[in-house]
Amino acid sequence: MFKLIVKPALVVLLAASTFSSTLLASDLTDANEIVANANLTSYYAANDGRSEARMLIKDAQGREQKRQFTILRRDRSDGGEQDFLVVFSRPADVRNTVFLVAKKPGSDDDRWLYLPGLDLVKRISAGDKRTSFVGSHYFYEDVSGRGIAEDHHQLKETTDQYYVVENQPVDPKSAEFSRYTAWINKNTFLPEKIEYFDEGGELYRRVEVLASELVQGHETVTKSRVSDLRSGGQTTLEFRFQAYDLGMEQAVFSERSLRKPPREWLRRSK
Amino acid sequence: MVVKNASALLRVLFSSAILLASANLYSATGDDDSWGDDAWGDEAETEQGLQFHGFIESAVGGRLSNDSALQDDDFTLGELRARIETERFIDGAFSHGASSDNSKGGALRLSAKLDLYADGVEGGGDLYLREAIADFSSSDDVDVRVGHQILTWGTGDLVFLNDLFAKDWQSFFSGRDDEYLKAPSTSLKTSFYGDDVNIDFVWTPVFSHDNFISGERFSYFSPMANSQQAAPSGKVIPVEPSKTFSNGEFAARVHGSAQLLGSNAEWALYGYRGFWKQPNAVNSRNQPFYSPLTSLGASLRTNVASGIGHTELAWYNGDDDQGSNPMLPNNQLRFLVGYEQELLPKLTLGVQYYFEHQLDYDALTKSDGGSIYRVDEHRELWTMRMTYSALQDNLIMSWFSFYSPTDQDYYHRPSVKYRFNDELNLTVGGNIFGGEQAHTFFGQFDDASNVYARLRWSY
Repeated sequence: MFKLIVKPALVVLLAASTFSSTLLASDLTDANEIVANANLTSYYAANDGRSEARMLIKDAQGREQKRQFTILRRDRSDGGEQDFLVVFSRPADVRNTVFLVAKKPGSDDDRWLYLPGLDLVKRISAGDKRTSFVGSHYFYEDVSGRGIAEDHHQLKETTDQYYVVENQPVDPKSAEFSRYTAWINKNTFLPEKIEYFDEGGELYRRVEVLASELVQGHETVTKSRVSDLRSGGQTTLEFRFQAYDLGMEQAVFSERSLRKPPREWLRRSK
Repeated sequence: MVVKNASALLRVLFSSAILLASANLYSATGDDDSWGDDAWGDEAETEQGLQFHGFIESAVGGRLSNDSALQDDDFTLGELRARIETERFIDGAFSHGASSDNSKGGALRLSAKLDLYADGVEGGGDLYLREAIADFSSSDDVDVRVGHQILTWGTGDLVFLNDLFAKDWQSFFSGRDDEYLKAPSTSLKTSFYGDDVNIDFVWTPVFSHDNFISGERFSYFSPMANSQQAAPSGKVIPVEPSKTFSNGEFAARVHGSAQLLGSNAEWALYGYRGFWKQPNAVNSRNQPFYSPLTSLGASLRTNVASGIGHTELAWYNGDDDQGSNPMLPNNQLRFLVGYEQELLPKLTLGVQYYFEHQLDYDALTKSDGGSIYRVDEHRELWTMRMTYSALQDNLIMSWFSFYSPTDQDYYHRPSVKYRFNDELNLTVGGNIFGGEQAHTFFGQFDDASNVYARLRWSY
């Protein structure tokens, strides 16, 4: 009974939204293609890159913590495997800690951590990717990218500016959300806003791009924020000193770099 | 716990109060509402001037029971420690190969870490040089690290087979930060990186032994005295090897990674020539000494299911080829296998099984006069590590246990660490020993069981 009433209403809504937006001939209509483009734009710009990043973590009481690190990235294949090296410079208790990740979409990532106080290269077991990254409100997966095959994607709406894509996990037990909606910029393909909903349909988490700029022809996020709407906490993430296509070799992402971070790529280019 | 050393405790508490006050002052004045424009750190500035980091830590730990062997057994830990660290890069100092461009490679890194501490347990204060190193690449494929340094390799979690670099068991037992388990040595480390195979070679010119349990701070069981011994009369003062080139330590590791059953497997082969790191031999004048040791080994670490598996093997070959001299350690085969996996989000469990096999046990039984304190032919050890982090990783709860079914003894290491903010954290934990017999590896430290608290302000 209920379904019968709701369905026509949905049809009306959808029709209204179609009228309100200017559907251009050049617009994409395949959600999978849109999401694939967004994934490439967000996580696979150029063949390699470096960026400095800093996080301002605020809890609901307004207490702040900070993280600062430099990320090196190299793609083994576009949209596929890639390597990350993350070198922390702040706060003092994690300074010179190095994190190495071999990302393998569709499988567990390989991860290592170098603890300078012990000169220890620790291999870390693959963990839940939807838990806090270095104590921030970002998840590990927000930083390294969520495999596009892990969700069903559906184009909900095309507005002047955005493709609005609704995503549901293929395996509902694999994620804490029941669905999320991404507003993907039609020109740049950056997902400028992502909202996560729980099983009760309640919005509880939001990731927003606050600023982006063109770096060597790649639209690059320079400031973003994640808000935990349940706890009231939020983390602001800023990126600076990005550079692409530096010509890093695969060997940069190895135990050698954990023990002796590659200054050649970590220092800012002049 | 009888507080005989009340003034030491008061000093520690007083300094803790100052520390807390200064930390609060810092967070009130030093924290901006957001990152300032200059907060990225101006590289030109850091290259010219030195930046200093480190911490100030106040720590106190007390024994859970009396140790009658010790004269003053109140505290196992009571100290105020200030760490100063600095590092400096000198770019272009080692330009080589095709890249004469100063911005590429060729950097010399200098790093120093120094502790100043006041110790209320053993009395007095001192300087402790933790690190003083120079890092550079002598060619595109070779990294060199020279100086006073911490060295670690191998796959074990708090179990060491092929890692024969110096350890500090007094720090470990008394509840200092985990980093102090590894003691520095003055060494030259050369690492060659090839396409498939990498080689590390470490030369330590002057033998660097463990900071073992010598009778200070903790007592130990002496089979010769048939009782628990402690300083001053029972302090172990071993004879050190003379400082000659051939008495230096030589350690090598050949390592690489390979695809094994679809996973990235890390393999390594190890070799060591030097001495046992603890004085477990006795000379003809009844003095303990460090007897020569040569070891060979191998390890493998790879993904297994959704966790990490590791295994390691080592063959220890000492001076007693026949195994017939009870004053020298027997040759040994050591084996380790372990697995770690995240059970639930932020909850990780690790389990290891280890054994130590005396290779010439029969010869030992015929020559030691039927000693009741003879080591078992086959000593087994299980370890368990459980780590849970909560409250946005600000609270880390950890439990590590050693349990030996053959020695029937154990060592539990529970700890809870809370990060108040980026500067201030508190760690509370324990070192709980016990066993069926007084002479076994962990059983002898029954009276060393302690609880501790450490308050650290990092800068």
